[in-house]
Amino acid sequence: MSFSDSILAGLSLVANFESFLSLFIGVAVGTVAGAIPGMSATMAVALALPFTFSMTPITGILLLLGVYKGGIFGGSIPAILIKTPGTPASSATILDGYPLAEKGQAGKALGMALWASCTADLISNLSLILFAGWLASFALSFGPPEFFALILFSLTIIAGVSGESLLRGALSALLGLLLATIGLDLIYGTNRFTFGNPNMMGGLNFIAVLIGLFAIPEIIAMVWDPKAHEGKTRRLGEDRVTFQDYKSSFRSIVRGSFIGVFLGSIPGIGAAPSAFLSYSEARRKSKNKANFGHGEVEGVAAAEAGNNGVAGATLIPLLALGVPGDVITAIILGAFMVHGLQPGPMMFVMNSDIIYGLFVGLIVSSVFLFLIGSVAIKGFKYVAEIPRGVLFPGVMVLCIYGVFAVNNNLFDVGVMFAMGWVGYFMARFDVPTAPFLIAFVLGPLLEDSFRQSMLMSGSSPAVLFRGPICWFFWGLTCITVFAIIRSGARAARQSKKTEFVRQTP
Amino acid sequence: MKRVLRKILGAAALGVTATAAFADYPERPINMVIPYGAGGATDISARSISAPLGEAVGKPLVMVNITGAGGATGSVTIQNASADGYKMLFARVGSHSVSPAMKAALPYTLDDFRFVTVYEINPVACAVTPASGITSMEALVAKAKEGGVSYSSSGVGSLPHLAAVMVMDEFGVENPLQSVTHIPQKGGGGAATAVLNGTVTFLCTNSSSLAGFVANGQLVPLLVTTAEPVVGFDAPTSVDLGKPELQKLVGWTGIAGPDDLPDDVAAKWGVWMQAATDDPKFRDTMETRGSVIDLMSPQEADAFIQGQYDSFRALVDKLGMRIEG
Amino acid sequence: MNVRSNQMKLGIGAVVTAVFLLTVAIPFWVSSPTNVPNIVLAPTFWPQILAAVTGVTGVGLMVFSSRRRAVTSTSGLEAEEKGAAIFRMIGLAAIMGLALLAMPRLGLVWTAMLVFAALAFLVRTRHPGIVLICAVAVPLILYGFFAHVAGVAIPQGHFVRLP
Repeated sequence: MSFSDSILAGLSLVANFESFLSLFIGVAVGTVAGAIPGMSATMAVALALPFTFSMTPITGILLLLGVYKGGIFGGSIPAILIKTPGTPASSATILDGYPLAEKGQAGKALGMALWASCTADLISNLSLILFAGWLASFALSFGPPEFFALILFSLTIIAGVSGESLLRGALSALLGLLLATIGLDLIYGTNRFTFGNPNMMGGLNFIAVLIGLFAIPEIIAMVWDPKAHEGKTRRLGEDRVTFQDYKSSFRSIVRGSFIGVFLGSIPGIGAAPSAFLSYSEARRKSKNKANFGHGEVEGVAAAEAGNNGVAGATLIPLLALGVPGDVITAIILGAFMVHGLQPGPMMFVMNSDIIYGLFVGLIVSSVFLFLIGSVAIKGFKYVAEIPRGVLFPGVMVLCIYGVFAVNNNLFDVGVMFAMGWVGYFMARFDVPTAPFLIAFVLGPLLEDSFRQSMLMSGSSPAVLFRGPICWFFWGLTCITVFAIIRSGARAARQSKKTEFVRQTP
Repeated sequence: MKRVLRKILGAAALGVTATAAFADYPERPINMVIPYGAGGATDISARSISAPLGEAVGKPLVMVNITGAGGATGSVTIQNASADGYKMLFARVGSHSVSPAMKAALPYTLDDFRFVTVYEINPVACAVTPASGITSMEALVAKAKEGGVSYSSSGVGSLPHLAAVMVMDEFGVENPLQSVTHIPQKGGGGAATAVLNGTVTFLCTNSSSLAGFVANGQLVPLLVTTAEPVVGFDAPTSVDLGKPELQKLVGWTGIAGPDDLPDDVAAKWGVWMQAATDDPKFRDTMETRGSVIDLMSPQEADAFIQGQYDSFRALVDKLGMRIEG
Repeated sequence: MNVRSNQMKLGIGAVVTAVFLLTVAIPFWVSSPTNVPNIVLAPTFWPQILAAVTGVTGVGLMVFSSRRRAVTSTSGLEAEEKGAAIFRMIGLAAIMGLALLAMPRLGLVWTAMLVFAALAFLVRTRHPGIVLICAVAVPLILYGFFAHVAGVAIPQGHFVRLP
């Protein structure tokens, strides 16, 4: 069967009202669920799963994929409007999205998030269709040593989001790395900093830390100085994203999409690191470097492209190998199995109509995402106009519910409060919070892959340089670190010069 | 005023629970704690039974995933729950026989729970990749004795961890803790990936987690631990290989409450579970995944879990793999 | 407060943390089996590296703080307002602490209502009417959504249960 035959067979399977309807409902439900902090895309997909049992396989799986894609985009809405990421993947969107909202340009930020998301989604889906086989075999060559080299390289993102002082960024990252060691040790199963508390044995919940670090400090700052915000009423205004904005961010969007595709096809990394990597790459390449972090629309575009680029690509290991890369694809794998389908190489032979039907559905989902996203932005924009004295207590209550719902554990609410104070004092001392978050995500991956590599080789470090993929990432790491040191030295010289000029009028 | 009101309300609430005893149980939705994440074997089993079980109970069952620490975080919430039957736990082999046998610092023991049933048994299978060139247990064991063999698991104190050690020990590999390397992964998906990409040599886990890879020809099964062959697994059983002791090595899912759960509540669960496991759709879903539906009474469940725990504990003590701290 | 003294404080804080971790926290609160074949595999290895790097970073912060220009940052508050602000912060901490205690006993919904109202009046909201309505409505709507649509077991208190 040729490629076009397969597509036609797939089309005949999808081209019915129910499939498109379920996809549409999926995207809509996902967008709304993603927009509620704590209702992550994962939860939404898990909730939708039982409904798919009674559907035909293709309709059911399209529903789940719709929820997934909608959820990843939906997360950017509260990230921009109330600095509370709806899903972990949208935490990088906060960095520039929230400052834009503060400036009264929430409409622009949301619009750009949508455009970037849809573009990245499309690129990701096309990559899935065209390169699934190739990327899957590539993903399988990622053992612990390759993982270690990749994560080490990813940690250099920290330099990109540290703001003016690299040392303070490093301090923030170290704090994140240290807090990430709480819990049971992976290799020996012993306790680390758990104080015998069973709630801490599983480690600090990521979403609790995330919301605590970003949303709660805003509330604390308002309590510290309620009047500072009183006069300001934020307006969504008529400020929309223009085609000009889109065009000037296009390179970042495409770059971010491919970063997403690449990281998404490797099981076990997820969307948040991809968004951060895309963001820091965009910042590094951009002309408006200095404006990043202060409301640069290209930053929103890059972050959203990075996390939506993952959405199609995580299906690559799932469909081609039967390996779920994250919890969401694990649930989707469950849906396949309930219908008696076994994703893997054989599925491309035995159920190629279903595979190509999914591909057709995925392409359509990008269009649906754009339509539903546009409506959602219009609906949610009024959030920006609520007076702060009412909005912030509401955000607090929403965060409490959301953080509880993630793991049904009140302890996590306590973690969120505690992290709120940590985040607030970090801001007071001009310590950036983004490095903390990246380190908190990547730290355990780095440590685990390092120790797994050591177990593989019998503690010989040579294994860390075992193949071309390792060499590639080690090379990239060295180049990046060198560039960071050089630009740091240059900045130091520059500031000295200006100081000198100032002192000698 | 407020305080008085609260007192009255509190007294009223207490009165209701006291007088009604458990004749009217359940009067409100029951929270069912799943101590593992969405998409895992426990989660799928729990959600599959929730529909027929909810019908039998007559009140909604709220599925609550509380993940962390290999099932310990969720299990502790039941250990500390009041024994009113409104908070029950899906107990699993990892959290309720492997972990208690291996971890000295676990915040609970088997005595903290009252098992009302075990309803599902999963055969365990061991598998390798075709690329490894290993086609039989004999070949794997021979290679293990030479050294350089490793296995993955979904974490320390999980079923795949203990399963691999137990299989190696049964097949006469001396000192399996040193001669065979354990490379733990985070979660079941990671454990399977590690075999597929050649990070480790083999993996022993629930046949349901391996079925897809076996059907696709990505993995070769070497052994199933049950006495009966497993559909889709072209591999000898533990009986074929003359290792009947390995029949103890199976996964299971059951339902438990706190240890002081009243008898009439436990009795009601027995009736409900009978109805739920008779549901043809549920049986069908679970059996296509390779599970065996086998409903046990509370006494049978206790004996079964204790028996498995004892044999795991004996192995752990013999090899000195208990984790202190 | 200025940037220089801030950075100095951060540096000192980091060094103190590092010393504390290396001498007290890691030896006592990270348990490591005795039979670890190689030091790099021990559970204490990674925390020790992190602690050491934290110490180095702290020293770096202290060194570079002396070279930086002193800039007075604007905290935005007059001296007499500062007292009230600190008072409000203590209030907020108390709200959070009490909320954590109240949630398992009163239930999440009732606690959330109290938190909403308390927080709004702590910042002396100019819309007391709207706040009171929202304080009751928002937690109830969220409860309806999470409990009945999303199927989350929102904790109910010992006193008044919601359907």
